[in-house]
Amino acid sequence: MVPISYYLILAAALFCIGMFGVLIRRNALVVFMCVELMLNAANLTFLAFAKQNGDFTGHVSAFFVIAVAAAEASIGLAIVIAVFRSRGTVNIDEMRTMKH
Amino acid sequence: MDALKQFFMTAPVDPTVFAQSLWLIIALPLLGAFVCGVFGKMLGRANVHLIACAAVAGSFFLSVLAFWSVSHVQGGVPVSTENPFSAGVIRYAISADYGTWFSAGTFRVNYGLMVDHLSGILLLVITGVGFLIHLYSTSYMEHDEAYWRYFAYLNLFVAAMLTLVLADSLVLLFVGWEGVGMASYLLIGFWYSDTAKAWAGRKAFVTNRIGDFAFLIGSFLVVLLVGAFNAQATSGNFAQLGGNTEAAQVRFREGLQQRGPLSFRGLEVMANALPATADAAQGGVSLQSTIAEGPLAGRTFGGVLTVALLLFLLGAAGKSAQFPLYVWLPDAMAGPTPVSALIHAATMVTAGVYLFSRMSFLLVMSPTAMVTIAIIGTFTSLVAALIAFAQDDIKKVLAYSTVSQLGIMFMGVGMGIFWAAVLHLVTHAFFKACLFLGAGSVMHGNADETDIKKLGGVRREMPWTWATFLIATLAITGIVPLSGFFSKDAIFHGVHHNHLHGYEWASNALYYVGLLIAACTAFYMSRLYLLTFEGKRSAEAKVAHAHESSWYMTLPLVVLAVLSVVALVYALPLMPGRNGPQPVMENFLGPVFASAERIAARGKLVELDHSVPTLGNYLVAWLVVVASGAFAAFMYMKFFPSRAGQPAPAFARSARRFAQNKFYVDEAYEFLVIRPVKNVSAILYKLVDTVLIDTVAVRGTAWVTARVGSALRYVQTGDAQAYAAVMALALLGGAVYALIQVLQ
Repeated sequence: MVPISYYLILAAALFCIGMFGVLIRRNALVVFMCVELMLNAANLTFLAFAKQNGDFTGHVSAFFVIAVAAAEASIGLAIVIAVFRSRGTVNIDEMRTMKH
Repeated sequence: MDALKQFFMTAPVDPTVFAQSLWLIIALPLLGAFVCGVFGKMLGRANVHLIACAAVAGSFFLSVLAFWSVSHVQGGVPVSTENPFSAGVIRYAISADYGTWFSAGTFRVNYGLMVDHLSGILLLVITGVGFLIHLYSTSYMEHDEAYWRYFAYLNLFVAAMLTLVLADSLVLLFVGWEGVGMASYLLIGFWYSDTAKAWAGRKAFVTNRIGDFAFLIGSFLVVLLVGAFNAQATSGNFAQLGGNTEAAQVRFREGLQQRGPLSFRGLEVMANALPATADAAQGGVSLQSTIAEGPLAGRTFGGVLTVALLLFLLGAAGKSAQFPLYVWLPDAMAGPTPVSALIHAATMVTAGVYLFSRMSFLLVMSPTAMVTIAIIGTFTSLVAALIAFAQDDIKKVLAYSTVSQLGIMFMGVGMGIFWAAVLHLVTHAFFKACLFLGAGSVMHGNADETDIKKLGGVRREMPWTWATFLIATLAITGIVPLSGFFSKDAIFHGVHHNHLHGYEWASNALYYVGLLIAACTAFYMSRLYLLTFEGKRSAEAKVAHAHESSWYMTLPLVVLAVLSVVALVYALPLMPGRNGPQPVMENFLGPVFASAERIAARGKLVELDHSVPTLGNYLVAWLVVVASGAFAAFMYMKFFPSRAGQPAPAFARSARRFAQNKFYVDEAYEFLVIRPVKNVSAILYKLVDTVLIDTVAVRGTAWVTARVGSALRYVQTGDAQAYAAVMALALLGGAVYALIQVLQ
């Protein structure tokens, strides 16, 4: 059997990669993809623990996360398209109306 | 004759019923002040005159009823009111208690009003003379635009003075005390658009305030004294009062609880229960015992009492214009003349004398305080008389004359001859008000000319004013048979024959200085009269021929002149007394000063004499005054006119200039007191207020906040990823922390 720590370390690594992507990439669509990566890392963690405990709670939570991720992705992409229509760019660096 | 006596001894209204309406005496002028002040301009001149005069007339009517009530005798038993502090009753008095004003722990102050013979007399003087002056003012102020404000302030003054006189505790008296000070300020500075006049008002108020501060500290000491007495007294103390001693002490404590420590009746009971020496105390406290605990621990009762009375002296000196706080009174002549007549002659300035008469029972326990009062009174009287010699302004002469006569009253109070001081207060109110109103009439008829050097010969032009002024002048100088002679002589006789333990020299010394003061009074008053009314019209007069004033002004003059004459009855020894015939006033005020007499007789600290002046004494006094008056007549009618054109000797000129500049007392105060205070206040303003508070504390705080804000603003980049980075870092920190906790 594969020890659970392997799954957890993989999930953590995926999470960190996704987090770095969110913080550093300039393209809004890439940021969304990295957010999906973070969510999937969380899903992996849920499933690893569910397998270890022999419990279905983790599976149910993973389904919830997938549903939420889908909804969030659709809304987010709609916002990105709206922003692209008004500003002509999806480069995050150029959206600075909140700057002092 | 008997029927007449019976008439005067039966009040038309039952005294106990009337007592409940005592508050109306104060309420009427107060209401008048409110209506005149708020609606006066709308109502018009005639209505304002009517309301103001009617309010005071109503008060006068009620005061007559009050006076009548305290003389009420039914079936041989005089009217009396219960004493909350002892088992006995207070005879010849009515009182009403209207509940508690405020209380804090054992300290309590009630709204209580009381009328006895002393307050009764003063009520009549205040409302009677007040009404005459209101009447006079309707004509005097007829050309002034702010008539409504004037009558509002005048009514306010009367209300405050009535509060002072009717109060049955020191605190309510102080309310009236402050009220008259405020009304005086408002009225002196009535024509405030003239800066000098406004400053005169300010000077009066600030000087009064210094006295008020001393009054307050004195009251606090009295509160502590009563507390210490209550804690340390045994029933042996209350043996002096007669009856069951335990019950007496319990009753006293009950009274303290219900009425507070500053009620006059409580102070009277305490004074009766506090003997001078320990052997007379029968095991209780005496004036020589020390106070056991509290802020005054270690001091003797007598010592604390003396200090409190000296502080009250400073307070009274501020109100009654004695040294060192008399400087406001001459400047107060900047106000309208009827104001000078009412406030600075007849009523407010007598508040100090009234205070000491009320507290006569405390005074006779402290010969030191008494001699200080007498010396201050004598000194002030002499200095003021000397200054009056060289004043040319008619109102200034009268102002210094007021200070001088008040000094004589203080002399009387200080040496224990209370009834004579009160009699002089009454007669002085009459003739001084007459003099001031007469001066106002002269000014009114001579285009407001106040310099007597520029008047002269007014006698032929203003007969009524002349006649009343002459009568009042004779009264003040003390020519028999006018009242001023008798009242002043009664004081001097008392000063000569009363003795204070430890200060026996004062009796003789003050008597002779008193005779000197009488001579000075005769001189400067004769000078004033002669230069104004007699002789030829001065070449520098503004108006060649003066016209007599209207009846609104001459009627009060006539009434006051008549009163100046008939008041002499009060000094005549007509009543049956213990040692032979007693002056009417002494007999009348007997119940008021009975405690003081009893305490003085028992304690042997103060020896009060009751003899009547002999014909010889009267003759001496009269000769002194007549000689002085004749000397003044000679100087001003013959001597100076004969030397017109020849310069006076240098010594005489410089002495006159010194007296004319009021002995430079104002300048000394300016240098010693006012300038240092102004300097300190300038430092406090420039350093503390402007720099420390305004710049550093207030603006500095705002500046720091603004700078920190602009620094922190750089965090808001508008970059969502930067915000997310901060969140991630925080999360990381939290995770690390949790990890450490788990591993420990």
